Amino acid sequence: MAKPQYQSMNTRLHVGRRDFLKTTSIVGAGLVLGTPTLMAQDAAQKSAPEKPRTNIDEIAAIPRTETSLPGPFPGKVVQITDEKAMVDDKPQAEVVSRMFEAGLNRLTGKTATESFDMLLSKDDVIGIKVNPVGAGLISTRLELVDAIIAWLEANGVVRGNIIIWDRFDSMLTDAGFTADRYPGIGLEGLQTMDESAAAGESEDDSRWLDADGNHVSAGLFDPEVSYWADVEAPKDKPYLNQHVFNGKDSYFGKLLTQKLTKIINVPVFKNTGNGISIATKNLGYGAICNTGRLHRPLFFDVCTEVLAFPCIRDKLVLNVVDGLRGQYDGGPMPSAEFTYTYNTLFFATDPFALDMVCHDLMVEKRKSMGIKVNEHPMFTEYLKYGQKLGLGVVGKDEIQHVQVQG
Amino acid sequence: MWPRTISAGVVLLFVCFSFAAAEVDIPPDNFVEGWQKSEDLLRFVGHDLYGHIDGGAELFHEFGFEQLLVQRYAQGDNEIDLEIYQMTEPTAALGIYLMKCGTEKPLPGLEMRNSGGASQILLLKDRFFIQLNNFLGDSTLIPAMTTLARQVTAGLPDRQPLVVMDGLPPEGLMSGSARIIRGPYGLQPIYTFGKGDILQLDGRIFGAVGDYETEAGETWTTIVIPYPSPKNARAAFANLTANLDDYLTVTDRNDSAFTFQDYRSKFGLVRVRDGVLDIRIDLAAQPALP
Repeated sequence: MAKPQYQSMNTRLHVGRRDFLKTTSIVGAGLVLGTPTLMAQDAAQKSAPEKPRTNIDEIAAIPRTETSLPGPFPGKVVQITDEKAMVDDKPQAEVVSRMFEAGLNRLTGKTATESFDMLLSKDDVIGIKVNPVGAGLISTRLELVDAIIAWLEANGVVRGNIIIWDRFDSMLTDAGFTADRYPGIGLEGLQTMDESAAAGESEDDSRWLDADGNHVSAGLFDPEVSYWADVEAPKDKPYLNQHVFNGKDSYFGKLLTQKLTKIINVPVFKNTGNGISIATKNLGYGAICNTGRLHRPLFFDVCTEVLAFPCIRDKLVLNVVDGLRGQYDGGPMPSAEFTYTYNTLFFATDPFALDMVCHDLMVEKRKSMGIKVNEHPMFTEYLKYGQKLGLGVVGKDEIQHVQVQG
Repeated sequence: MWPRTISAGVVLLFVCFSFAAAEVDIPPDNFVEGWQKSEDLLRFVGHDLYGHIDGGAELFHEFGFEQLLVQRYAQGDNEIDLEIYQMTEPTAALGIYLMKCGTEKPLPGLEMRNSGGASQILLLKDRFFIQLNNFLGDSTLIPAMTTLARQVTAGLPDRQPLVVMDGLPPEGLMSGSARIIRGPYGLQPIYTFGKGDILQLDGRIFGAVGDYETEAGETWTTIVIPYPSPKNARAAFANLTANLDDYLTVTDRNDSAFTFQDYRSKFGLVRVRDGVLDIRIDLAAQPALP
């Protein structure tokens, strides 16, 4: 890439206590004096903000490969439902396993082994990207991951070449993805975060900051591959603890750029505000660091542009949405009030078509539950943007939505 | 090391936060026999909230967020998460509560405003929006959750929110439909008038939203925003007129109002008068200009 993607971490991480206090005091003064918050002042000045610049043009120019998105089934989405999948709100492993095989079969038109040969090879190092947020309530179910691992092993992949991953290591543990539960399988968070330090309960930064002032996870991100966006990040320690870097680069985890050769994306079926947080967001915000700065100015566009990077575009071979339980409001936070048993899995190689189908289903569900829905086209424009970048097929007439009852 | 010179503003800030933290008494171990704190208390101040809600913090900040306290309790395999969102004022807490609770379902035996069930109880008192989560949805934990709810709210003040919803015309207002907005994130699930803070609420000005239905079955949504001055309201009206969303087509206008048609062929009316922006959306037929 033409633009330098990396600067000395020392310059980036040099955040003095004074800087931290300065930032905090401005916000605090706003609260004490009853003046607008920083955010409010910013909003007042930019009632019609322009989209910040990013390095998407450079990335989109990188030549595609045979395995680039949208994969062998552009626009095709398989939805399989089996009312026996959940009993007393608990996934039934055998039923889930059957649903997985049937869904795969309907997606590819081939057997499980033939599907494997089409999408993967036994020598691949395969990353299973789960969503552990909302552990136990709306996180990716272990039974579905078990079915995927069984499929991989049955086709010759050794357990050591299968890695369950997410952005934060502690969340994986919370959601049940532990070494005891998955012996021999890799378990990797792109980064660690000291929650008690982030929450201001601990003055001990040694669990996330090394002696040189670098985040202990800094070396886990690839300095050569970054999603650059012309958006500043907060310069305080809690942000750094959570986001590893605080410049204008959001680096990809080395796991994606250097280790994995294929990715299977296993998000959950849930909303984020008026939109959805399913296939594209699970990777868009899960594969890079320094994301806090991106939510407000770029939000859904991140879900599209991050997936355009070769380390995802050329490696993501399958998306399986865990809709055994769904959440139709209150998301992306887990909100038990709005979860429901859905008994459904979705399959696609094309994450943009998948999200378009899921978006429409989510709107339908929200309406049926009396939730106010804004149907403005802007909530799916990022998916159409994905089609413009050649990453998916999302036109209503182009999508093939196959519905199967188990 | 702390710097030797700390500004008065910083001192004030920490005095303020310390005082605020002291407002909340976190229930101790054995609030019900056998329930113990299972982790340290976590506290997220300002934008650190992104560390707890990655992708959902904007709404809290827009309404006016100060800090979040998280305490987890356990009794054997059972767990209850207590989350206390301290907002800047009672109306901000009410705004979040209404956004989060959907159709309000109060639990019997709880005195404060609340909604929920076996998995989650939402509470509102003064400037505190409180969530009690029991992710397993075990209804046998409801007594422990309600005891925890009573204890955590017992020492809190009880100031009432501003009467922002009184601006909504009462006739035809559907029960339970009223909401509060304070900026673009709150407005997002309701309607899109344009980019950014198109109504110039600035995270300071509260507006009220309600759904309406006539006996004949005609439905629409009304948004009423009382600005601090007629000048502010006029400025918001001018901003809206100048930056109206590309998917909305103006069908008629005069100096203080305009009508429009949206992408679903529904109609709307925007009117400014006496410092108030009065908006109707989702109308089935083209309204007349006032």
